[in-house]
Amino acid sequence: MADEDRRRFLKVATCAIGGGVGLAVAAPFATLLAGPAGKITVTTPTDPLDLGLAEHFRAGAEPRKVDVIAPMVKDGWTAARNVVLGAAWVRRTAPDKLVALSAICPHLGCSIGWDAGVGNFLCPCHDSRFSPEGAKLTGPSERGMDELPLEVRDGRLQLTWVRYKLGQSTREPA
Amino acid sequence: MKTKVRDYLRERGLSGGGAAATIAGGASFAYVFGAVLVFLLIVEAVTGVALAAFYAPSATDAWGSVAYLQDQAVLGWFVRGLHFHAASAMVIVVGLHLIQTALYGAYKKPRELVWWLGILLMVLILAWAVTGYVLRWDQAGYWANKVEVGIAAATPVLGGMVKKLALGGNDYGNLTLTRFYTLHVLLLPVIVGAVTAGHVLLARKLGPTPLGDREGTPRPRWPEQTLRNTIAMAMLLTVLIVYVVAVHGVELAAPADPSAAYDARPLWYFRWLFELRDLAGRAEKLVALATPAIVLGALVALPLADRAPTREIRRRLPYLGALAGLLAVIGGLTLASVIGDARDKELGKRTAGAEQRARLARKLAHDNGVPVTGATDVFFTAPMARARALFATRCKGCHDPDRMDRKGPVIAPGHGNRAWILAFVKNPSGEAFWGRTKLVKTDAAMKSFDQMPPADLDSVVELIYAESGASDVDEAKRKHGAEVFEIGCSDCHAREEGMAGASAPGLAGLGTREYYLSFISNPRSALHMGRDKSEMPRFDRELTLAERDALAEYLVWLRTATRADLEALEALDPVDP
Repeated sequence: MADEDRRRFLKVATCAIGGGVGLAVAAPFATLLAGPAGKITVTTPTDPLDLGLAEHFRAGAEPRKVDVIAPMVKDGWTAARNVVLGAAWVRRTAPDKLVALSAICPHLGCSIGWDAGVGNFLCPCHDSRFSPEGAKLTGPSERGMDELPLEVRDGRLQLTWVRYKLGQSTREPA
Repeated sequence: MKTKVRDYLRERGLSGGGAAATIAGGASFAYVFGAVLVFLLIVEAVTGVALAAFYAPSATDAWGSVAYLQDQAVLGWFVRGLHFHAASAMVIVVGLHLIQTALYGAYKKPRELVWWLGILLMVLILAWAVTGYVLRWDQAGYWANKVEVGIAAATPVLGGMVKKLALGGNDYGNLTLTRFYTLHVLLLPVIVGAVTAGHVLLARKLGPTPLGDREGTPRPRWPEQTLRNTIAMAMLLTVLIVYVVAVHGVELAAPADPSAAYDARPLWYFRWLFELRDLAGRAEKLVALATPAIVLGALVALPLADRAPTREIRRRLPYLGALAGLLAVIGGLTLASVIGDARDKELGKRTAGAEQRARLARKLAHDNGVPVTGATDVFFTAPMARARALFATRCKGCHDPDRMDRKGPVIAPGHGNRAWILAFVKNPSGEAFWGRTKLVKTDAAMKSFDQMPPADLDSVVELIYAESGASDVDEAKRKHGAEVFEIGCSDCHAREEGMAGASAPGLAGLGTREYYLSFISNPRSALHMGRDKSEMPRFDRELTLAERDALAEYLVWLRTATRADLEALEALDPVDP
């Protein structure tokens, strides 16, 4: 009987030590793998980005697509210069007013184009149409195009790049 | 419930079963090494999976991803250190396992195959380490791999092909890394796993060999032996964790750079071969290839040579003596190599320099990120790094305040600020300005404006200062300065964009990046010093546009910089001969 007890104790001890060893290896493994989930691993500039001279946009002209370029994007370990983040449709709506609409379709994120024949915006993926002001016309998109903060400083366009959540009627930053 | 599970496992051959369940002579700590090695393989697999989730096998990214892992990922340094040092531990335990097996005579009939599979595993594990060391793509791993592949390339007949296959072409690059990565994380794990399975299954089936010729009574393996195995694993893991924490993982040298010399040293378990090559002199290639072959051949031959049925140690002394001698030689050579390095003062200096360079690279990678153009460019993310390197090689000779043989005006912090402009206007022929140029000896040199009323002088200085586009200009002063300029300066100089003065440089945009770029490109253009007044060569034919622009940016920076700012930057200077 004493031998039975001894053997039982040894079994429990083996499992306990083994469990500790397993935990000591598994815990750092899980910590490292989960780490990036809680971090901003790819940066998006929050400062306004330069889109060039404002005078190039004339009142009454069709909207023009402008690439939004970040001077620097950190992605994990790399730092890349002049990274294209996306595009915006810019238009002068009044002599002293410029509007920028994100080219990302609020439906599922395709790239919205300008349908010159009809004179409104068209998303080629699911045929959502938007007015020149960006209002929702037809198609599956649940809201109009997303306006991006835009200001003119020293005659140059300064745009703040924001991504919004897709596929919903309300506008929320992603 | 418990019996159901056990029956399920037993039925499927996953538990219990014949000879494996008992140990002749009972459990012993002498039998833990095999189990500990399997445990270490599991540790390598687990840590390896986590590392692979961060690693990028490309020549431009590999170092950056490892630096990120080491310095930014949560516990990355720990997992990386555990992976590296557990591999070292594996080599040690392989050695102990081999010694124990030899001592107990466990290589003898019927266990020859177990022994041979063990030798094969040893070779595979060493190869595994080699394929892992290069992945970090730092100076240490890169140069060590060059030597290793170089040795392999010296193999008669096959060498050239082996090298091309290893590198994935003619030279080190992306394909080298993807290949070694595939070997390290796909092929070798599968191969080692399969051979280990064979080795362990056979060893289990045949059971451990008791010491000496007496067959002990069989005792159950579980839990006595399992407990001993587990205790050994726990002890080793504890030592490993303490060590990994104490040395903060494992070092990472500066990014691999084919143009920067490095004192390549192999991983410590190859140091004896490294030392032996050194001793061999001209026969080094032969020695490097033949020695491992001879050692492995001897180990493989052991069960064939020592065929007497006895396992008594004192009746196998010649064989055991030979093995002990081999181990002593390996140990001695390793020690000699390490001591030799420690005594080499010059090597110590170079190593310290390399370590400083590594620290700088990692700090810059941490602060600024690694450029997508490649990890060696991380040095150029230091502020003005390119410009300062250029300035040191191309400009200092004529412009450095500390150079006795300087021929041009001093360029130092504060260059182009108000105080500098004022000092210049007061005495253009001063020691810090045209004093050492040929211009100063001619009538074309600008005269001193020391006698100008201070208020006027001040205003002219503000006017010229404003040309730099500085944001702190006093507008009233500048306006007054413009009036003074018309009277006192405009006979010689011009202020209109793109205009040269009648007999002196145009001053439009003086102090801006564009101005400096233009000046450096061609100081003798009519807009600047003119054909005869400057000894400075034109640099538009020597430096690229980007290089000249970097220098221009640096000059703009110097205007607002102090000596302390410059010294802070110089502390960041990459150690580059």
